[in-house]
Amino acid sequence: MALSILQFLLLSLCLVTYTQAHSTESAPPRFGRFGATVTRSRREVAAALTTDPALAKLLVQNEAWAENMDETRPGFFNTSAQSQNPAVLWLGCSDSRVPESVITNSLPGDIFVERNIANQVLSTDTNILAVLTYAIEHLNVSRIVIAGHTHCGGVQYCYDQAASLPTPTPNPLPPLPDPVLNTWLSGLYTLAVRLLNNPSISTSAPQDADAAMELITVENVRMQVESTSELDVVQKAWNEGKDLRIVGWLHQLENGRLKDLGICAGPDGDVGCSL
Amino acid sequence: MPAELIARLLDSNATWASDVSHAEPTFFPESTKGQSPKMLWIGCADSRVPESVVVACKPGDIFVHRNIANQFHPKDDNVLSVLTYAVEALNIDHIVVVGHTYCGGATHCWNNAGAAPVSPSLASDPLTRWLGPLTILARQQQSGPDATDAEKAIRALIEKNVELQVLNVARTSIVRDAWKKGRDIHVYGWVYELENGRLRDLEVSISRENALPM
Repeated sequence: MALSILQFLLLSLCLVTYTQAHSTESAPPRFGRFGATVTRSRREVAAALTTDPALAKLLVQNEAWAENMDETRPGFFNTSAQSQNPAVLWLGCSDSRVPESVITNSLPGDIFVERNIANQVLSTDTNILAVLTYAIEHLNVSRIVIAGHTHCGGVQYCYDQAASLPTPTPNPLPPLPDPVLNTWLSGLYTLAVRLLNNPSISTSAPQDADAAMELITVENVRMQVESTSELDVVQKAWNEGKDLRIVGWLHQLENGRLKDLGICAGPDGDVGCSL
Repeated sequence: MPAELIARLLDSNATWASDVSHAEPTFFPESTKGQSPKMLWIGCADSRVPESVVVACKPGDIFVHRNIANQFHPKDDNVLSVLTYAVEALNIDHIVVVGHTYCGGATHCWNNAGAAPVSPSLASDPLTRWLGPLTILARQQQSGPDATDAEKAIRALIEKNVELQVLNVARTSIVRDAWKKGRDIHVYGWVYELENGRLRDLEVSISRENALPM
C-alpha cells in the first residue's frame, strides 16, 4: 500500500510528532558459523534468530518511537514506571486489526487489556478471571469495555459450521473441526446455532449471510457483557458499592469506527446504565 | 470522570478513523478482506505495554494475546486457542513472548512467595491460581544465591519467566507438529523496559533447529 510507515505513525500516534526519517534497513546480520559441521550453541542460534528481518524491523521501530517519546514527552517513561492507573479494562479480540490503543489514540498507561479469540469471557477461564480480579480489585478500574468487531474469524468459524448443519439441528451438535477451538468457542457456536435456527433469518443470499454474521457478532458481545456481570468478582464489587460498569462496543473494520452498542451492565442492572 | 474518559476514547477513535481514511482511503476497506499478521505477541495485560504503540505498528500487523504476567500455561484453553489460530489459521511463524520491568504480577509473586499456599495452582482465588507457576519460580529463585537485592531479583525473575514461557510455547504439540511438517516457526523472548520504552531481546529464542527433543 502507498501509506509509508512514516505517514501512518503520524496518524495513528497523533500526539507524537515524528521528525526523523525512518530507515527500513535492519541492523547488519551477524550470522554464526552457518555451514559449519560443528553444532552451534543455543546462544549462537538464538543470536542469529534475533536478527530475523521481520522482527529486527520492529525493534528498530521501537527504538525510533522511544527516542521520539523522549523528545516530545520528556520524563514520560520515568513517570510510567512508578505505577499504572488505567480507568478502563478492554476485553477484546486477538485480531491484529483491532489494537485498542492505536484505534483510540491512547498512550501507554491508559487501557488495561486482555485479548483472546472472539473476545470471550468464560466463567471457567482462570486466565480472564485473573485479569478481571487484578483490574477490579488491584487497579480499581471503573469501566470494562467488551469489544467485538466485524469480520471476526472466530464468529465466522462458528457461523460456517452452524450454517451447514442439517434441519432439524442434530442433537448433540457435531463439534467444530479443531478440538481446542471447539472447547474455547462452544458458547459462541451454540449461540450461532440458536440464532440461525430463528425462522426469520435466512442465510442463502450473501447479504443475508452478512446480516447473520453481524447479528451473531453483536449478540456475542451481549452474551459476554452478561457473563461478565454474573462473575463473583463483579458482583462483589457491586455489593461493595463500586460504580463499575460493563459496556459492549463493536469495532467496524469497514471504516475504523468504534460503535457503542448501547449494551451495558451496572450496579443498578440495565436501568440508566450507559458509559 | 470515568464516563468522560471512556467517551473520550470514542471521540479519539472517530478522529483517528477520519484521519486514516483521508490519508489512505483504501486502508479500511482492504482490511475487511482478511488479516495476515506476521507475528503473535504474547504479552502482559499491563496498560503500559500496548504492543502496537511501542513498536509503532498498524492494525493488521500483530496478532495479540495479553494476560497477567505474560503467561503461557500449557493447559490454558484461552492461550492454546490463540496459538492454534495463529499458527494454523493465520500461518504465523514468529511468536514473541514479551515480559516487562515493573510487572505487578512478578512483583506480587516475589513479595508473597513465602505466604502463598503450598500449591498455589490449586487455590480458590483465580489470581493466586493463575500466578501459581510464577510463584513457584519465585520460590526457586529465593532459595538460590543473590536473593537479597529484591529489585535485581525481581528483574531476574521477570526474565526467567519469559524464558520459561518461551519453552512452554515450544513444547506445545501445535508448534511441534508444525515443525514436523517443515514449518519454520521461531519463538522469541523479549523484555520491555518501562523506564525507557525500549524492547530488549533476551536471546532465549527457540526454533526447530535448537529445540531440545522431548
